[in-house]
Amino acid sequence: MFKELDPILHAPLRLAVISLLLSVKEAEFTFIKEKTNSTAGNLSVQISKLKEAAYIDVTKQFRNNYPLTICKITPKGVDAFENYVKALQSYMHLNN
Amino acid sequence: MNENEKIMTEAESLSIISGMINRARNRFSETGTLYLLWGWVILVCCISQFVLIYFLKYPKGYQVWFLTWLAVIYQFIYLAKIKKRRTAKTYTDEIAGFVWFTFMICGVIMVFILIQLKAYESINPLILVLYGMPTFLSGIILKFKPLVTGGIICWLLAILSPFINYEYQLLLLACAVIAAWIIPGYLLRAKFKKEN
Repeated sequence: MFKELDPILHAPLRLAVISLLLSVKEAEFTFIKEKTNSTAGNLSVQISKLKEAAYIDVTKQFRNNYPLTICKITPKGVDAFENYVKALQSYMHLNN
Repeated sequence: MNENEKIMTEAESLSIISGMINRARNRFSETGTLYLLWGWVILVCCISQFVLIYFLKYPKGYQVWFLTWLAVIYQFIYLAKIKKRRTAKTYTDEIAGFVWFTFMICGVIMVFILIQLKAYESINPLILVLYGMPTFLSGIILKFKPLVTGGIICWLLAILSPFINYEYQLLLLACAVIAAWIIPGYLLRAKFKKEN
């Protein structure tokens, strides 16, 4: 039997954000925007969805009077990512 | 269904994952500035103390080390600036920072103990042992061989130091900072400029 792919992660930009946050301890919104080549509007929407699923923590601060959004992956996010990769692998085995 | 919800194939998913992980990992954030700052400050202190003691016969040559306080102040200002500019914090940055923090704490405690015990002549050999640790570990963490080599050179000089007179130990310390901090510092700077 193959596992179902997590719909929250099975979307290009959300998967990109989670993969990026897995490799760093924390990252600012601007860093994620630059690395994923996304638009601010689209990225905000996807970050909110990941936050609603509790896959990432989002903290808002101010630096020199400018708002600053810092994102960090949660343990739940790491588990979800691992399960997603396992599910992907089971699909790959079925196809081979 | 918008672009974000489109169906991805397994291959597309894997390519996004590996692409993102590589983009974050390949980010080389070490500019070498603090290696150069401390390398040059310690080098100037060592050579000045040696000249004062050996040539000018001035017994309080150790006073040149007060120069390090200026370096500490500069370091705080520099780190605050870096923190403002940094948009992501990697695990490597964090671990490397803690390695140097551990070194600083150990160094201060060790010098304090040796001064209390009036074991002034043991300070330089033991400082050499200690220099090797953060240099070697930073080399491993950053995967940067010149620092690994620099750390090993510190340890070799430390083994040599008990067989050498106190004044000349200052020159060993000078060699150690050239090998462990100044040369790797310039190489790190060149690597940073090339990759960013």
